Amino acid sequence: MAKLFERRLTPLDSPLAILTTTSAAFLTAMLVTSFLFLRYGASPLQAYAALFHEPFGTLRGFGYSLVRASPLALVALGTIVSWRSGFAYLGFEGCFVIGAAATAWLALLGAPGAQPGPMPSFLFFPLAILFGFVAAGIWAALVGIVRARFGGNEVLISLMSNYVAIFILQYLVSGPMRAPGSLPETRLLPRATWLPFILPGTRAHAGILIAIAAAILAWMLLRKVTLGYELIVTGFNPFAARYAGIDVPRRLELAAFFAGGLGGLAGMVEVLGSQHRVMDGISGGMGFVGIVVALLARLNPVAVIPTALLYGGMSVGADAMQRHADIPSSITFILESLAVLLVLAFDALRYYRLNPAFWRSAPPAAAEELK
Amino acid sequence: MQHSLEMRNIVKRFPGVLANDHANLTIHAGEIHALLGENGAGKSTLMQILYGFYVMDSGEILIDGERVHLGSPKDAIALGIGMVHQEFMLVRRFSVVENTVLGLREGGGPLLDLKRASEKLKDLSHRHGLDLDPSVEVGSLPVGVQQRVEIVKLLYRDARLLILDEPTAVLTPQEKDRLFAILRKLRENGRSVVIVTHKLKEVMELADRVTVMRDGKVVATRTIGSASEQELTQLMVGREVNLHAEKSSRPPGAPVLKVEELRVGDKTGREKVRGVSFEIRAGEILGIAGVDGNGQSELAEALLHLREIKGGRVLLNGADVTALSAAKHRRMGMCYIPADRRHLGSVTEMSVADNAILGQQRKYARGWFRDTCAARNFADGLVARFGVRRASIDSPAGKLSGGNLQKLILGREIMSGPAALIVEQPTRGLDVGAVEAVWKELLQAREQGKAILLISAELEELLNLADRIAVMFEGRIVGTFDAAGASMEEIGSMMAGGASGEIGGTALTTAMQIPEARNGETV
Amino acid sequence: MGSAFIVAWLSASLRLAGPVLLAALGETFAEQSGVLNVGIEGTILLGALASFLASYYTGMIWLALLVALLIGVAANLLLAWMYVSLRASQVVAGLVFNVLALGVASTVYRWALGNSALPESIAMFHPLHLGALSNLPLIGPVLFSQTLLFYLTIALAFVAHFVLFRTNFGLALRSSGENPATADSAGISVSRMRYAGTLISGAAAGMAGGYLVLAQVGIFRETIVSGQGFIALGIVIFGRWNPLKAAVAAIVFGACDALQLSLQIFGTHIPPQLLLALPYIVTILAISGLFGGKAVQPAALMTPYVKE
Repeated sequence: MAKLFERRLTPLDSPLAILTTTSAAFLTAMLVTSFLFLRYGASPLQAYAALFHEPFGTLRGFGYSLVRASPLALVALGTIVSWRSGFAYLGFEGCFVIGAAATAWLALLGAPGAQPGPMPSFLFFPLAILFGFVAAGIWAALVGIVRARFGGNEVLISLMSNYVAIFILQYLVSGPMRAPGSLPETRLLPRATWLPFILPGTRAHAGILIAIAAAILAWMLLRKVTLGYELIVTGFNPFAARYAGIDVPRRLELAAFFAGGLGGLAGMVEVLGSQHRVMDGISGGMGFVGIVVALLARLNPVAVIPTALLYGGMSVGADAMQRHADIPSSITFILESLAVLLVLAFDALRYYRLNPAFWRSAPPAAAEELK
Repeated sequence: MQHSLEMRNIVKRFPGVLANDHANLTIHAGEIHALLGENGAGKSTLMQILYGFYVMDSGEILIDGERVHLGSPKDAIALGIGMVHQEFMLVRRFSVVENTVLGLREGGGPLLDLKRASEKLKDLSHRHGLDLDPSVEVGSLPVGVQQRVEIVKLLYRDARLLILDEPTAVLTPQEKDRLFAILRKLRENGRSVVIVTHKLKEVMELADRVTVMRDGKVVATRTIGSASEQELTQLMVGREVNLHAEKSSRPPGAPVLKVEELRVGDKTGREKVRGVSFEIRAGEILGIAGVDGNGQSELAEALLHLREIKGGRVLLNGADVTALSAAKHRRMGMCYIPADRRHLGSVTEMSVADNAILGQQRKYARGWFRDTCAARNFADGLVARFGVRRASIDSPAGKLSGGNLQKLILGREIMSGPAALIVEQPTRGLDVGAVEAVWKELLQAREQGKAILLISAELEELLNLADRIAVMFEGRIVGTFDAAGASMEEIGSMMAGGASGEIGGTALTTAMQIPEARNGETV
Repeated sequence: MGSAFIVAWLSASLRLAGPVLLAALGETFAEQSGVLNVGIEGTILLGALASFLASYYTGMIWLALLVALLIGVAANLLLAWMYVSLRASQVVAGLVFNVLALGVASTVYRWALGNSALPESIAMFHPLHLGALSNLPLIGPVLFSQTLLFYLTIALAFVAHFVLFRTNFGLALRSSGENPATADSAGISVSRMRYAGTLISGAAAGMAGGYLVLAQVGIFRETIVSGQGFIALGIVIFGRWNPLKAAVAAIVFGACDALQLSLQIFGTHIPPQLLLALPYIVTILAISGLFGGKAVQPAALMTPYVKE
């Protein structure tokens, strides 16, 4: 008896096929979520209108979307660079806070009364980017070294390392970097260290520009630079990579460094662009949501910016939806995660096709015997 | 099973290959039956069907005259059939007794009664001369002992028919003798043993009857007393040579690749390559004949230093490259085309163009940036020159058919201008047209003065392409022939460990291993 | 720092260890079968909510615990299907599931309570007083004044150890995680074992959520679960995939957690975060391979099994 679905020899791989399954998954998720809207007596169309109007239909809301999207995009880029190099890194929460702490430290050097005092913007911002990137990059590279040289499991180690980083942050904000007073947070960072606002009438800041630049650089790395070629080969086939003269351990460590650095930039952007101080919990789970964004963007740097904007926008819209239509903002979490789970499920479809043999009336074995 | 087991007209197809073509096999109770054949003869498949691992497309299996259905290993075990695979089915972390009772639901209840099981195991072990300690962790046992654990697992389930797939591949000579003693005892016990093998000497030594398979068909069944080794070899390898390649005769040039007493071990520390030496000259193809698993893959990888070398030297144009990295080998002019073209030889998810420059990626760059233009031009040229068809250079290499992928890999390596090429099973799984195309390229490379090591399990391929053929058996080169005068039977016999050389007889083997001393004379 | 401190500290250690140990026990089964169930973080949250609502509406704490267990199993059916049948990346599916669980929990919570004020208290498990045993000096308050759920969890640790190492089921489960091909050839359904492992971890994680609400916090907050699931993963590793060692590991983790709380009260100079980070650092070192740690994990962990 032939099966209904038979396995293809190679899965459908065209960009069209991938786009189709991704869109279908997202739309299905929206459909499922509509049923939840109904429970609140709101028509799904109205609810979605409220969800998407604020972040994409109003200037102010759009500004907030950009603010939320920037760190997500950076974490997503870090995910892409590491995962595509064959390094399954999950420690972005940790990189986020390390980057945030490093940049805040640098910013506080310029606070009134501190040494060495304020420094000019053209010096500060590049330095802040460098600091945030390198500090978090080294943090992640440690895990990379453990994996490359000792064969440790980077999935579990990076998950654990998130906690160590979070504890380091907690220590810093309740001790050495704490503002006068009893709250475990730093003082407000000097105005000169705030990322400039780029869209008048909104609170959108230059962080999105950093994210876009990073996306371009990541795309160039993976497509246009020999190093990127070597990283990708390492990710697909370490044996072939060795034969091709690629130093696999060094590449893994480098991938870790880049990924961590991008996670650190996410923290930097959040601190200098949005929060302007560092406290416990500053990452707000963005280290994980960013991974989800990368997955929906199918690990493609080009798709990251729009996807991050979508998710950033949805979090803004969710708040608006809650205010206006009294629908809990947490519904968007359901929509966001369901979409990716469905992507995984629908992906399976690319590996199968309808089996024409299923529709034949006589089973093949019987046909043999009739001969 | 009391009297006999019969497999009738077994047919099994896999995509692209007919593994069993109306195969017939009868096993009597209380006999040791050998299933003899080369790679791809279909013997393993037939036994997997008997053990319920695969389901046959058509045919029937009868035990004592009654049809039985073998849909899964559970059915086979219930009918008293057991199998010891080439790769042992053991959980290294578990003890001997835990491995033995895995999957059984003894004593009715859910509890493991290891104590009682250990008693039973010790008793079985004692009765059959297996000498096993139930509580030892299997991972710490030597391979020969692990195999005995596999056997005791079958006896614990009261298997009446035991199938062993290439059992001596992993054993030392002493362990082999011990195994044979155990098998003979089982026979006395009234049980039947089927031993799947390509080693002729063992068949002659151990079996009562032998069935020879070739190209999916059963070619003959003989009683050991009434068949000679020559006859069996002839049955095993004899076939019409279908393809012919045009090969010019040319005197070989200067020595390019020299290998001296190479020793290579595997993960468990056993030696897979035991002191192999040979030399290849410019414009010469040296073929290595042998059934899979006699050390050829390990040899190929070691030559490129993709595998640890225990001893010996590899010299390329006089330079000692033994300890250099694989990439360095490549740069110095030794290239490798592995047998697994999809998982080792290429990156199937990347484009044809990206695969074309694999290994040369630094060359197609301007500073840090890739020179995609030059790379694409190169790829276009390669695809045209080597006839890689039916895919654009931007589509994933995985979409190429086997033949086209092989041409791509071959082209990539040849275009890097090596002095020596190590080629492993280049035409496995390819259709006739692709085979001819690959042969043409290899012969052209030979014309260009490259030294080529061609490892192949296909005698036809070796006879067509190679200038000289060395036979590898159990990690050693047991004979070297001039291809011109060689006979399939003689080579086949050596591949099966047979007549022309005593394994372990050092005088004869050493003499065969240094062809330079004999200028490639036929031995 | 006298004996009062030690008593308070040890008592708190055990108290804090309970829920994460419970989750870790279940996760041990999942990982021994070859599945790394990262989704237990989300499952604990769902279990916490379920038990809170059940206790709020019915006032019956054991029923609430049962509901939490069932919710855990139901949620992990989806995960098990993704891990085993779809052979999706386990880490990806688990992480995304956690986000989904957060969404579902928050939404259902608001749904159920609407705009009404939070209840003042719900029916809970209270620490037991076992008569004379509780009055023993030092060990009395520490060992014999825990909640019933704590003792239940410790008992489950022993049960888990027994099941894993002394039953046919446990042997079959472990073989699926060590060498699925061998398990398959022995007639064991690797899929079924992995489903079982995942569902057991779901049940335990759900109950752990109930434990948090019913025996510790007493109320539901959206932030009630903030890493306990990941800590449970660490405990499984630290405990070398062995339930009894996991119990010890959980108590060590709990002790560090409790110590930093106590130290804050006493105002010492050791940064409490160092103590909190210590168990994680030790776990990282243990699995880094620096000390040969790799050999201990189930060999086929996270590797999907494909039958030929």
